[in-house]
Amino acid sequence: MNRLILLLVTTFGTVLAVGLWIPLKAIAAQELLELAWAESQARQQQTRPWPWADTWPVARLTIPETGQSLIVLDGAHGESLAFGPGQVLGNDDRAGPVVIAGHRDTHFRGLQHLKTGSRVRLQSRDGDWRIFQVDRIRIVDSRHERIDTAKLPQNSLLLVTCYPFNGLENNGPLRYVVEATADSMVTAGEADNVGIGEAVAGT
Amino acid sequence: MMLLTHVVPSSPTIKKPGRLKTRSARGDMCPRVRRCLEGVSLWLAVLLFLFVQPLYAEASETGREGTGEFHFLDDAGQRQGSATLLNTDYRVSVSGLIADTRLRQSFRNTSQQWREGVFVFPLPENASVYGMTLIAGEREIVGRIHEKQEAKRQYTQAREEGRKAASVDQQRPNLFTTRMANIPPGETITVELHYQQAVRYQSGEFELRLPTTLTPRYMPGQAVDNRPAQWAGGWAMPTTDVPDADQISPFTVLPEEVGPGSHRATIALTINAGLPVSRVSSPSHRISSTWSGNAVEVSPESDAVLMDRDLVVRWSPARGMEPSAAVFHEQWQGEDYLLALVVPGLSRDQRLPRELVFVIDTSGSMAGESIRQARQALSRGLATLGPDDRFNVIQFNSQTHALFMEPVPANANNIARARRYVQGLDANGGTEIASALDAALDDRHSDGGEGSARVRQVVFVTDGSVGNEAALFRKINNQLGRSRLFTVGIGSAPNMHFMREAARYGRGTYTAISDLSDVERPLDELFAKMESPVLTDISVSWPGQAAAMEAFPSRIGDLFLGEPMVQVVRGLPGEGELEVSGRLPDGSQWQQLLPVDQAAPGKGLHRHWAKQKIDSLMDRGLDGSIDDDTRAAVTDLGLKHQLMTKYTSFLAQEKTSSRGEDETLATDSIPTLLPAGSQGTMLRYPQTATLSPLFIAIGLVGLMFSAAITLLQRRVFP
Repeated sequence: MNRLILLLVTTFGTVLAVGLWIPLKAIAAQELLELAWAESQARQQQTRPWPWADTWPVARLTIPETGQSLIVLDGAHGESLAFGPGQVLGNDDRAGPVVIAGHRDTHFRGLQHLKTGSRVRLQSRDGDWRIFQVDRIRIVDSRHERIDTAKLPQNSLLLVTCYPFNGLENNGPLRYVVEATADSMVTAGEADNVGIGEAVAGT
Repeated sequence: MMLLTHVVPSSPTIKKPGRLKTRSARGDMCPRVRRCLEGVSLWLAVLLFLFVQPLYAEASETGREGTGEFHFLDDAGQRQGSATLLNTDYRVSVSGLIADTRLRQSFRNTSQQWREGVFVFPLPENASVYGMTLIAGEREIVGRIHEKQEAKRQYTQAREEGRKAASVDQQRPNLFTTRMANIPPGETITVELHYQQAVRYQSGEFELRLPTTLTPRYMPGQAVDNRPAQWAGGWAMPTTDVPDADQISPFTVLPEEVGPGSHRATIALTINAGLPVSRVSSPSHRISSTWSGNAVEVSPESDAVLMDRDLVVRWSPARGMEPSAAVFHEQWQGEDYLLALVVPGLSRDQRLPRELVFVIDTSGSMAGESIRQARQALSRGLATLGPDDRFNVIQFNSQTHALFMEPVPANANNIARARRYVQGLDANGGTEIASALDAALDDRHSDGGEGSARVRQVVFVTDGSVGNEAALFRKINNQLGRSRLFTVGIGSAPNMHFMREAARYGRGTYTAISDLSDVERPLDELFAKMESPVLTDISVSWPGQAAAMEAFPSRIGDLFLGEPMVQVVRGLPGEGELEVSGRLPDGSQWQQLLPVDQAAPGKGLHRHWAKQKIDSLMDRGLDGSIDDDTRAAVTDLGLKHQLMTKYTSFLAQEKTSSRGEDETLATDSIPTLLPAGSQGTMLRYPQTATLSPLFIAIGLVGLMFSAAITLLQRRVFP
């Protein structure tokens, strides 16, 4: 009987540990990514955070509402999303729309605090910040809707995460989509003067 | 929610001290351990409720969500798309140069409700639809051709009155819509279409293409209504450039998203070429063919093929039997129709210095297999450049970008640079063809004296998935100058109407690639054509030249190596000699005579003629809107020859009502399949949740359960 109990305790303990490991990994990875991001900004080239990674940092996203500052990775496959939000669409030269997806349980949990009119900032590798204003927040059913990339405005940013935020199901159909439009751009030099970079990075 | 978290967990908190007391009274061996365990389980219980609470939240939120939003779900929560299953059956019989097809579309209603099915489907770009029948069980109702608005009115009336009705409209020359009203629950209704098309003959090979799906098209322009969510729904909103965008953009889905067994096609071809056929092949499907005399029966190896790519069948005459000329004759309603085909025997020993501009479409619809095909096509093209040629590479999606400011000499350095550029091309964004055409057809940069001797050729590699074709043809027509435009269709389901017409206005030819393993052959043919001399200033003189004679196409364009001259004429009896003449690049005359009185009997020539005439009438509409005379002429031709046109539609309807008044009717927009290998511009929402909350919840519940067992055990066996 005691063995059975021991077995049960170990099993469920492991399950709990795995469950806790995921958010832990998400937090720890961001710290490592900070280094890689600093390096890729300094060298102006793609820098893999660790040698066997199949993704690399492409941008920094800050959400003043929640005080988050996240390193965005390239691609939104399971591997990259475990470590940071993934850029599904967008390129280095800042032309065209940007779509970023993140896990609702880890990095993008804070999206629920965004409201219409909130601002988010996106820094590209060359250090320039773009400030986006949230126009609209929608909940979509991913079974019946797609993102028509050809129709997105050139200066738009979409942040996508799963919905509902407290859900247990990991492959539910609903998505929480925050649509934002760029309203201004601050170059790296100005940012230092104004102190945006520091204020944001310090949060 | 907050109430739940606070009130519910508090109840065990009250109970537990009680238990504690009773147990400590009994005097245990190790009360400290137990107390500790109980404390732990208490905390676990509190934690558990914290995690159970979101479950309630989820339940209540899903119920509330989505009011007022358009959903592809019916009241029962079933996905509407799978309620109506669609299957098609193609029976093609080829005789000579004309292929006649009976196409059956069966709509099976699997729901408990009456349904209306709307299905947007492609037909070959040169198809003339001449018959339609509605089949419901034993009954067959023959469809009649009506003026389009009248057909629409009668269809709507029949639908409201509960009568079974079907209508087929033409949206684009290669894009049609079937509407099928009042399909009873659990039953199947079939719409049978008859159409014919001309078989393509070139370089000694016949080719027939049966499209089964369409690549989602890009709709340029601004939205007409001011709804901001352009990118959201499955159907595009009308735009300023494409006012009928919502009519030609069915929801595109993956094969596993349609109902079981839906979107399958059974196909059978009978080829009666009139001459011995030596080889039948298909680059798109595995086919099996059986010979019986001169006729060949062809069908795909699997019974039902998925409708996610065009079926292409090619057959070639036995060696030495390649026709160099053919004449067919038909009498219809007292009038004579003749169809003539002449293949000029051109030699390929001359070669002129050229200026080649490669234009590649890197829009989102090219993502996946298509962009790989296109890259390979371009590499192939770069390989054909000679040392005295000049070239440039232009890519376009939402913007246009040229590799070189102006065409550069094809030296090793430039070609290597172009190769690197081509290999790095990626597909995303819109399909703004207009600006790319501007850049490609702009020959200001070609230097005067030496440059003007060059042949200027533009190779346009695209899937043509745009909604504003007419505006683009107009542009090509106006800006062509001395350039020649060659289109290369890419992907599993390219817009062949765009390919063919753009090449026609561009005075070049079109080629289609349907398979990555099939890139070389068609392209080598194309580039061989482009390198070879061209037969120009072609004139055809028919015997007698009666006043009532009308020949189409009225002016024959330039002919490239291996290409035949095809003309269809009305009002001439089959006698005398046909004379075809033209000018070779070195200025010498070329001439060929063809006796007409040995014409073979043909079928459906009058429809082919009428279709050609309608096309030439519609061409006039390019430079603006179509005037009333043209519209009337097209409508008359459609009604006389029983052909579907832009202004005439087929309609079949029941006389009596079959749907009860208390039954409601739901409309199903039947999706088309995403062409094989394509990713489409529609990005799927990524998976954005982890198993973490679930694991934590299971772990906590489990630990609590174990703790409870431990306690229980201690109490039972002290």
